[in-house]
Amino acid sequence: MPSSDSEDFESADEGQTHTERKERKKRLSSSNYSENALESDSGPKETSTLTGKVEKPKAKTTDGWDDFDIDNPEESNTEVKSKEPSPKEEKQPKAKEETQPKAKENVKSQDTGWDDFDDWGQDDVISKNEMEQTSKPVNQSSNQQQTDRDIKEVTDRLASASTKGNSWGWGWGVDSLLSTATAGITTATAGFTTLTSQVSQGISTVLESGIGAPDPEELARKNNKEADTSAPKVEDTKPDEVKAKEDQPNAGANDGAFPFGSLLSGVTKFVETTGTKVIAGGLDTLETIGKKTMEVLQDGDPGLAKKRAMLGLDSGDKPVLSQILREAKAKAEEEDKVREEKREAKEVHYENLFDDFEGLVHLEALEMLSRQVTMRIEERMRGLDPEKRQDIKETLQQVAELCEMPEEDDEDDEPPSEGMSKPDAFHEKLQTATQDLGLKLVFQPLVKQYTDVLDWLDSSDPDIGEKAVYKRAVSSLAQCTALAVLVYHKAAEMLLVKPRRSTADEADALTQMTVVLTKHISELATLFTEKLNSISSENKEQINNHITNIFLEAGNSSTYIQNAFQLALPILQIGAV
Amino acid sequence: MVDPIFDYQFRLILIGDSTVGKSSLLKYFTDGKFAELSDPTVGVDFFARIIEVQDGTRIKLQLWDTAGQERFRSITKSYYRNSVGALLVYDVCNRSSFEHIPLWMMEAKRHIEPHRPVFALVGCKIDLVGTDNKNGARREVTCEEARMFAEENGLHHVETSAKTGLNVEEAFVLVAQEVYNRIQTGEYKVEDGWDGIKTGFNRPNGMDFNLLEAETVQSTCC
Repeated sequence: MPSSDSEDFESADEGQTHTERKERKKRLSSSNYSENALESDSGPKETSTLTGKVEKPKAKTTDGWDDFDIDNPEESNTEVKSKEPSPKEEKQPKAKEETQPKAKENVKSQDTGWDDFDDWGQDDVISKNEMEQTSKPVNQSSNQQQTDRDIKEVTDRLASASTKGNSWGWGWGVDSLLSTATAGITTATAGFTTLTSQVSQGISTVLESGIGAPDPEELARKNNKEADTSAPKVEDTKPDEVKAKEDQPNAGANDGAFPFGSLLSGVTKFVETTGTKVIAGGLDTLETIGKKTMEVLQDGDPGLAKKRAMLGLDSGDKPVLSQILREAKAKAEEEDKVREEKREAKEVHYENLFDDFEGLVHLEALEMLSRQVTMRIEERMRGLDPEKRQDIKETLQQVAELCEMPEEDDEDDEPPSEGMSKPDAFHEKLQTATQDLGLKLVFQPLVKQYTDVLDWLDSSDPDIGEKAVYKRAVSSLAQCTALAVLVYHKAAEMLLVKPRRSTADEADALTQMTVVLTKHISELATLFTEKLNSISSENKEQINNHITNIFLEAGNSSTYIQNAFQLALPILQIGAV
Repeated sequence: MVDPIFDYQFRLILIGDSTVGKSSLLKYFTDGKFAELSDPTVGVDFFARIIEVQDGTRIKLQLWDTAGQERFRSITKSYYRNSVGALLVYDVCNRSSFEHIPLWMMEAKRHIEPHRPVFALVGCKIDLVGTDNKNGARREVTCEEARMFAEENGLHHVETSAKTGLNVEEAFVLVAQEVYNRIQTGEYKVEDGWDGIKTGFNRPNGMDFNLLEAETVQSTCC
């Protein structure tokens, strides 16, 4: 037995050159399988001898690797370009396919199948090794040195395994330095589930389902086809197939299992073509397996966090949790920020503030009344003869003229009476203006708002930012305007239910009230701009901007107030007709 | 100040006889306060509050508190049109206020046409029921008959107290949710020239967004 071992190793090394491949194939065909029967008995013995021997061939294989380095480029190139689809491409998937049938087969006959199986296991080991060392499957191809070293092992294993019939124990014994993955696979198939770790499970999955291998039927079909078309390359395969077929009955396997046969032939071929091709193929396969393994392992588990946690390799999932929390917090902050910005934008948006203070809805309600009353007036006119209609039109026109805003006159800008506060003076003006209206209008909200504004301007921190003053200014103008519109709305409603109308007085009163209110708006704007000017800020441009805007919004306010007044006009008019 | 961000604005109108408690109901809903005495409403007053419906959509309720007094009737009529919901308010201790409910409902239907508003029948002053009769307060409208009327006319019914706050929130949420549901089913839409439903400041294209969403949900179902 020992002699055959050494021979195999040698042949493996030799086999790395093209010239010797055929020769070796012959040898294998004659020796390998015939020896199986004998070897199966002496498995355990082998293990001990082999362990010692493994080292030696390794040194030898270094030479083989030099060869490989030279030869390989061609090989791999062809593979990449897919110029020769048949042998290599087939070889890979076939070998993979074998894992499944073999698992069953091995129970019956633990021969060649196991060689290959061990090889595969080793491939996985290597991929796993790489994985552990680089943790990046993508780097595998570039990580030539690492791969070289790994492949050295593979070649050793391939070489030894190729002739090893019963490598079950062999693989088990020698591979103590090789990984758990081999064990995992071996055990997975053999039923040693106790050893199956997460990793081995992943690898089994790869072997069973993955690596982009075509399914068995496809393969079988391909094989058939190739046999029929008798491509030159297939000739290599054919004898193998025959061999495999011959071999199978010997091993007591299924006779008519052509797919198995072809699969086995794949194994044989895989073993036989151990040369640069095998190595090149092995390298590619390694890469593929490594990548696939990584993919499977990382499937739904990026960074292998879960699996690592499961294996206890990490210090638990604490960092992951904190990461999640951090992200959640960042997200929440972002949302808050957006919300805050929106709110901020709204805070200084005049129209929105006006709406918030119910100004818009009062204006709208007033408009509804106005429209309704206008319709009523038109209805009345329609039923009249043209002469009377003309009279009414004139009356309406007169009322409209009464409601025209007087020219700006600064003369009656008399200072407030002695001992009277500004808000009180404002209140008095409003009451004086509307005393002929014949209604009990409520001006308290307007007066209170004015008081609040004055208090705020007096008491506010002298170091207050211009932004805060500006905000308050816009808000105050909007509020004051809303309250003013409310007064017009209420006045209109009350006028409509007033039993006795005195249109001229009403019109005059409302006009005066409008004057007082628009002046009040100007007053507010002036107060805030004075405040802004009193702020000692280096950002003079910004302050000027704010001042411009305040006067703009004040103009806006006056427009709203005068619109409200105009909406009230039909309500005044209807009292006259 | 309430968070000004909202997705929709619904306009609801409160109608019913004078002194049934419309203003008190709204004051409690928007302010959480109850005033023993209050002036009668002139024409219409406005209240607003933002609430959330079941899916978290923020709704600003713009509440039109109409005067119940007869003399304002001609004015309040003008205010119905742009409402998407109407709360028919009566006093559980005032039989005639309940008997006028059909008239109020007809009035609202007539003026809100062609739109079909969501109606809710809201009994007020439930806190007075069950107390001793010193105040002269006695239930004059049973819950059963009100419920029966509501069922016959397809309204929601709820009995409330603006003093204790009982069911006040529920009354408004009920209507808001129903309006929102009808938006979801496509029965109500944001329309130009009708202010019953408006999209909020938050989402200028809120409606489109929502319709799209609703459609995708439907398509996944089918």
